[in-house]
Order: sequence, then C-alpha cells, then structure tokens
Amino acid sequence: MGAVSAAGIGADALWRAARDGRSCVGETQFNRPYRGRIKISAQVQGFDAAAHLEEALLPFCDPVTAYLLTAADEAMAQAGLSRAEPMGPRTASIIGTGAGGMHTIEDGMYLGMVEQGRPPPLTVPRGICSSPPSNVSIRYGAMGPCFAVASACSSATQAIGIGAHLIRSGLVDRAIVGGTEDTITNCVMLAWEALRVLTPDVCRPFSKGRNGMILGAGAAAFILEAEEVARARGAWPLVELAGYGTTADARDQVRPDAAGAAACMRQALDDAGVSADEIDYVNAHGTGTTVNDISESEALGMIFGKRLAQLPVSSTKPIHGHGLGAAGALELVITIGAIRENVAPPTINWREPDEKCPVDAVPNEARPMQIRTALSNSFAFGGINAALVVRRAEAA
Amino acid sequence: METKALDQTELVNQIIDVIVKEGMIDREKVTLDATIESLDLKSIDIVMILTAIEDKFDVYIPMDGPFHEAKDIKSLIDAIAAYIIKEKS
Repeated sequence: MGAVSAAGIGADALWRAARDGRSCVGETQFNRPYRGRIKISAQVQGFDAAAHLEEALLPFCDPVTAYLLTAADEAMAQAGLSRAEPMGPRTASIIGTGAGGMHTIEDGMYLGMVEQGRPPPLTVPRGICSSPPSNVSIRYGAMGPCFAVASACSSATQAIGIGAHLIRSGLVDRAIVGGTEDTITNCVMLAWEALRVLTPDVCRPFSKGRNGMILGAGAAAFILEAEEVARARGAWPLVELAGYGTTADARDQVRPDAAGAAACMRQALDDAGVSADEIDYVNAHGTGTTVNDISESEALGMIFGKRLAQLPVSSTKPIHGHGLGAAGALELVITIGAIRENVAPPTINWREPDEKCPVDAVPNEARPMQIRTALSNSFAFGGINAALVVRRAEAA
Repeated sequence: METKALDQTELVNQIIDVIVKEGMIDREKVTLDATIESLDLKSIDIVMILTAIEDKFDVYIPMDGPFHEAKDIKSLIDAIAAYIIKEKS
C-alpha cells in the first residue's frame, strides 16, 4: 500500500501519525487571497510532484493524480511488482474521487471568468474524475476495467470493495485500487463553510462539545490480488480484504440514516463470513459533526448491541482530516496498520462522553490490543454507505 | 445589508421573512410556539436560513451557538435576534 497525506509521503507516515495521535491540521495555504472565516485544514503541504514523477507526465497531473501515482508507485514496489512488466488485461484500475481535479477546474474557471483568459489545453484531461484511474492504467500497463468511483465520501471504500469483488468474480486477477482527493481550494472551502459542518477550532469525534469536521486531502493506493495469483508469484499479503458492503439510505440528501448504515455494515460482515463478535476494532467514519456521530453510533449499536460500549471504535479524522473521496483509502491504510501492529489508534481531542454516542472511542491514547479483524466505515451525502472488513493474513 | 438602527419588532419580522422564504413554508404557520419539527424544518433548512440571515444582516453566525439546538420558532428567533443585536451594538 502507499499514501500521500497531510502526514507526508508514505503509508507509514500516515499510520504513525494516526497511531501516535499527531494531528496534521494547520493553517491552510491558499494560492489566492481567501475570504473565508475557517482557515484550518489537513492539507498536503510541501509535496513536490517533480520529485516523484517524470517531468513529461506533470502537465497531465492535477495534484490528485500526482498524489495517487506517488502512492501507487509505493504500493507497487511493496507488492514486488515492476513497471517494467505491463500488468496486462487482467488487472483493473479503480480509483475513488469525489470531485476529481478540483484545483485544475478552479484554476481554469478563475482564468476564464475572472481574468478573461483561456484555460490551458490540458484542463479537461487533468480535471476529469477518471484522470486518476486512467493515469494508473497507463503507468502500469493495466488493460482491464478502468474507472473512477464518484460517490462523495464513500468513493474510495466503494472503489476498493468493487476491486475485490471483480477479483472474486474471476473477471480480473489483480486490481490497483484506492482513492484521491484535494478540494482544499478557495471555492470549495467556502462551500463547506456555508454548509456549516466545518469546525472553526478543533475536530473531536464522538465527544461532547464537538462542533464539526476538518477537511483533509491526499491519496492512498492498494494492490489487490487473487490469493492464488499472489501465492504463485511468492507474494505475501499485508492483510486479507475479507468483505465489502454497500447500501443506499434512499432517504435524505444530507441527513444520514442509521438503518442504512447498519445494513451496509451487516452486508460487509456477511460478505466476509464473520460475525459481529469477531470484529476487534472499528475505524469509524466519525466526521466529528453533531449529526454523523450520533447516527453512526446508533448504527453501530444495531450491529454490535450490548458489546458496543466495549468495542474500540475510533475516528482518525482529527489526524488526517476528512479526505472525502479519499477518506476510505486513507483510513484503510490506518486500519491495516492497526491489525499489523495490534494497536487501536486513538480518537484525539476527545473531551467527555456524549450520551448520544455510546461508543468506546479509544480516547486520546492509542491502545495496544489484539486486532485480528477490523471494520472500516464510510458514509456519504446522498445516503451512500460503504464498509470494508479486513482480516489478518494467516500463514499458508 | 441593514444599516439602520434595529427595531426589535422589525428585526423579528425580518427574521420571520427569512424563515418563510428559506424554509419554504406558509407565513401563517410560522407562529412563535410552532416547533421546528412541526414545520418540517430539517437541519439543511436551518443551514439555509442561517446563511440567508448572515447575508441579510452581514453577520457571521458560528456553528456551535444555540441556533442549532432551538426546538421552536421562538427560541430560534430569540437566538438569532439576540446575536444580531449583540453583533451590531
């Protein structure tokens, strides 16, 4: 696996920040003067695309594509795969992104409408949501199914889950999956502020006194492989991606529905063939908004019942921000880290229990514990729910 | 933007105007004792109302104030009016 995030470059940097409870939130750097009131975010800062990608490729890369390819290179190298050998027709490229190349789009609009100029000719291929997956397919010669999944905050989790199901169906042997997002631009930050879900100060999921979320950015990529294909080439998996569930609330555009989220988690557990009792840790969607955390707690209660109060459920979003279309990928990196190191990462900034969120949020301090099987949740506007179950890889 | 001195009754009427328009509800239903729930005002409607109030009165309404906890029209209007008066004084 690989990642680029507010924690820096590399999956390990992201996992360590989450495990150590080190927030990567700071003052946002904008390219143009910013009139908004809320200026904090978990931005990817100091990322130099030219240090990771070929010069000729850079004009085609919005930041979301540059992050993703950097993360995918890391994942490919870790998986022992080389660009020298094209992946061929049985490898899929499926990447989640909520908004695609938003920096490119916003820059193009500014140029066209404010400065009466002409957007650069590569504005369209850079800005489209399918630019990240198509660049993956080109980079690694992956000629199988290639598409973007755009389901807002569930994008990456769906992309990863669909990749696993394509492999399971026998359609492909391997899938390069993940998510990427960077909407930390003037207009999108203003739009989120207008929606009144951003915290002006501190993101504290599941805690009393929480007042909103922090926007994040970044990308994470994974190489999924059929077990026998991985084994045949002598590769050893980081974890087993055991189950995937996805449902729609079919109710409200912005208000989450606990029943829909619970149905999704149930589906993921059933898909993995595990019972709720086997889940050792949940990486929550946990945005830190008043509404999400209540609804998610209620949904978790529907699945875990009386066990909920003892089940470690943490949100790592105060660390890396809400990565929107990349969120599920960034959080899968952390969930895999939790399984591999047997540590539940903390929900930082947590102050005191909220009776409406009766979960064990792993407050403020990481908790060493046996973690064999974990659940990672993503819930999106429009009522789109997605969840993954990952399990420790057992020796063959 | 409002620049004249704010009269309490006038202010309340202006706030009701915004609630009627942004909440897309009949004016006669917006009585002081009407509950937010009975008017079917959802969280997104409150967001639309507060944003319109910001634009109309040129104030910034923080998201962690009492506005989001109001259960009826009276407490919503009281919270908004008190805040505007404080900001404009």
